[in-house]
Amino acid sequence: MGGHIMFAKFARIGAVAVTATLATVTASTAQDFQPENPQCIAPSNPGGGWDFICRTTARYLFDLGVIEDSMQVTNMSGGGGGVAFAHVSKERNEDNNLIVAASMSTSARIAQGIYEGAVQDDVHFLATFGAEYGAIAVRADSEFETLTQMMDAILADPRSVGIAGGSSVGSFDHIKPMLVAREAGLDDVTKMKYVSFDGGGEAMTGLLSGSVEALSGDFSEMLGFLESGDIRIIGIMAPERLESFPDIPTAREQGYDVVGANWRGLYMPAGASDEAKEFWSNAIQTMAEDPGFQATLEEAAIAPFNNFGDDMHDFVAGSIADIEKLSREIGIIE
Amino acid sequence: MSDRIFGGFGLALAIFYIWAASIIKDSFMVDVVGPRAFPYIVGTIIALCSLYFILRPDDEPEWPHMREFTEIVFAAAVMFAYCFALPELGFVISTIFATAYLTWRLGTAPLWSFVVGLGTSVGIYVVFHLILGLALAEGPLGF
Amino acid sequence: MDTLALLADGFAIALTPQNLFLAVMGCFLGTLMGALPGLGPANGVAILIPIAFSLGLGPVASLILLVSVYYGAMYGGRISSILLNIPGDEPAMMTCLDGYPMAQQGKAGEALSLSGVASFVGAFFATCGLVILAPQLVKVALLFGPAEYFVLFTVAFATLGGISSTNQAKSAFAAALGLGIAMIGSDSQTGSQRFTFDHIHLYDGIDFLIAIVGLFALSEVFIFLEHHRGGAVGSAKATKVGRIMPDFAMIKRCIPSMARGTGLGFFSGVLPGAGASLGSFLAYSLEKQTVDRDGKTFGKGDPRGVAAPEAGNNAASGGALVPMLALGVPGSGTTAVLLAVLLQLNITPGPLLFQKNPDVVWGLIASLFIANFILLAMNIPLVGIFTRVLMVPTRILMPIVAMISFVGIYSITGSSFDVMLMVGFGIMGWVLRKLDVSLVPVILGILLGNQMEVNLRRAMTISDGDWLILVGSPLAIILWGVAITGFVLPMLMGRRMKKRMEAARNEEEFVGD
Repeated sequence: MGGHIMFAKFARIGAVAVTATLATVTASTAQDFQPENPQCIAPSNPGGGWDFICRTTARYLFDLGVIEDSMQVTNMSGGGGGVAFAHVSKERNEDNNLIVAASMSTSARIAQGIYEGAVQDDVHFLATFGAEYGAIAVRADSEFETLTQMMDAILADPRSVGIAGGSSVGSFDHIKPMLVAREAGLDDVTKMKYVSFDGGGEAMTGLLSGSVEALSGDFSEMLGFLESGDIRIIGIMAPERLESFPDIPTAREQGYDVVGANWRGLYMPAGASDEAKEFWSNAIQTMAEDPGFQATLEEAAIAPFNNFGDDMHDFVAGSIADIEKLSREIGIIE
Repeated sequence: MSDRIFGGFGLALAIFYIWAASIIKDSFMVDVVGPRAFPYIVGTIIALCSLYFILRPDDEPEWPHMREFTEIVFAAAVMFAYCFALPELGFVISTIFATAYLTWRLGTAPLWSFVVGLGTSVGIYVVFHLILGLALAEGPLGF
Repeated sequence: MDTLALLADGFAIALTPQNLFLAVMGCFLGTLMGALPGLGPANGVAILIPIAFSLGLGPVASLILLVSVYYGAMYGGRISSILLNIPGDEPAMMTCLDGYPMAQQGKAGEALSLSGVASFVGAFFATCGLVILAPQLVKVALLFGPAEYFVLFTVAFATLGGISSTNQAKSAFAAALGLGIAMIGSDSQTGSQRFTFDHIHLYDGIDFLIAIVGLFALSEVFIFLEHHRGGAVGSAKATKVGRIMPDFAMIKRCIPSMARGTGLGFFSGVLPGAGASLGSFLAYSLEKQTVDRDGKTFGKGDPRGVAAPEAGNNAASGGALVPMLALGVPGSGTTAVLLAVLLQLNITPGPLLFQKNPDVVWGLIASLFIANFILLAMNIPLVGIFTRVLMVPTRILMPIVAMISFVGIYSITGSSFDVMLMVGFGIMGWVLRKLDVSLVPVILGILLGNQMEVNLRRAMTISDGDWLILVGSPLAIILWGVAITGFVLPMLMGRRMKKRMEAARNEEEFVGD
């Protein structure tokens, strides 16, 4: 139910944003600003979703000639992105040459108050350029053929199924299976066994080594292992089956009305100049419209999903409000 | 005696550490072991070792005389001052003085120390900043 | 045979003049950065990434440059360990223990060239292992669940006793201190802040580089200040360099040590999360227990104490590529950076990498072999130049080393808080050395502390609080066996040694150290 609301908002705001983009793109001129030694902070270790955002953005902005200097990608992990968030809002608030990778986890953690008193307006949310759905995977030789079988086992004994995720307790990776279990009728979803790993890659080794029974993560992280036949995806949290992967069942068709979409985007310091904010917003628009970039997204199983400017602000505010409501219902925050 | 003082210090550290561990805030869900158990174990080991030092100290180490000790305190102070000076004066200027001081205190003539400081500072700047492209502290003069 | 054909293709890709030039450049820069305290392989590679991209190099060429830097830095770390008693990077820490005493005895040249050969042996066989065993090794890595990882780290701490023959309580204290420092920062399991006291710089914990540079390099400066004030000793004492080539007998004597070091190091490298530091550490401590149970020669300039950890650390760097390429999971800080490079080149490591991008994989492996030979060829003649460093009077050398340490840390973290923290570690290192507390366990604690704790907590979550999971698999039980042997043996040996020493003392009425 909560997921439903989330997706409706996704679709609507997304559509508005795209039209707005097309209207303004020709009018925008921020040629007076050109960043020097631009930097993109990925608030995680290399290899995760945030890292992908920074690496891809750095490559395309430079290749497309949007920026003149090559962009340095810095990994600043810790506190589920909280270290980078505090670093940007407190120490580099006026840096015009800095952008930071963000995603659903960023808004989720702001909503849950994990970033020590941080609010949305501590930074300037620039744009989203893509979104992908969450999925639940098991090993190829697992006894669970369907999500229903797994949920039955969880209903019988919530501690019998260990679920690995790439970030800490209460994160979006953790919320997704809890939402499914709530739909399945589990009273206290916090009883479920969630094992936190450092990033999606480590969580995958946890699954493959047999330490846990299932993995909750983003679809793109699972793609390689799905193709190699190591894992089976028993439920994707999309409204309907993906065109390119018609064999993967959705959670919804198995009776759990949960849609979990993880957006990918960027933020920058709130105190940056207006010219800089406009420059970076335009830069990401240029990138999002590039066919090569769109192909990269498709390869990584990420769907285009664009929000810029005021739409972006409203979108993030809506996303934060949704998660806050969900977290309250589940019992993560009081 | 030194080991006994060291032990006392270690004990104080252990108590402080265990206290600091006890005030770690819980999040809404805690794993079986929790965020405090490991720090408690570590604190206990520190405390036990410290007690051992107090009860069975090793032979006295050779501590420096007052003059050498002052040297070390001053050198540490210069290093701390260097940290504060970096963002204010920039890399090159701060480094000249810090290097010159250390070289001088290790027994080089003052003028030569300054030359060594200048050489070191400029040399590092060229290699690290101009060749390797690392970000060094920028002062008001841009270097 | 199929493998060989693919490897030949790889060599064909890697052996163009441009790529060879890049490999030579990478090896040289890597050696330089490895030797500078504060800059290790991870930073070395990270620093050169923008250069590789702004030169517009293709994927294979960029990778060749960057893996040459990677291997070069692993070779280079030993140089400052041996010459200055300051590890150039964290895996080179163990090389200090016997390398520096060798240099003090006037055998700097031999130590350097021997360690160069050991590095070559370790890296070469590890690369061979990577070629032949990669798919099988992934299966071995997957045998390690959280419980097994916890026991593996316990092995490292249990064998600490063998490292320093002095007061064992002090080793335990040092290890606990390191573990305690590792706890600082956000708890990765629950996100709670621990020991940060709301100080933002501490949220992400304390970088081990800050600790290692402070504890080793700056404390060395303080020690020099204490002893060499006035320059009376500083200029007069020009350390003898000795012969450049080690005699063949010495290398021959070290061959078993290198073999053991290579095996252990490669194995540690293959396990993600263990990495090169654990490789060189285990190689040293187990070597000591194998060949020098009475603690007579190790720590006093035994060539085997140089050969084993150097082979181990370079073998680990080859091994660490296995999980990185086959699973997309980096086994060390450097492979994490290399993984990032691959991703930036639009190559996704994982189970399909070998099928999807064979040119990249085999080009990379071929360039590892090439880098290795270049490094061997480069390092032996360069020994003469490196040892010239010792001709520089300490009163000038030491401040330069201190400043390079500062620059290394500042350029990576960009914060003067971290540099201050490093000075703090320097003072702490000086006090601890005065009190005869070994610094190696402190670093080991900082390096492995979080992994050890997190894996214990994961294991306990999986088992719902049942401690029996820690002995729940044959592998875990075997590892416990190793840990217990490693813990008990040196204690028994230590007691035996003490008795012998006392007996010797009584006989000769010899007092002194």
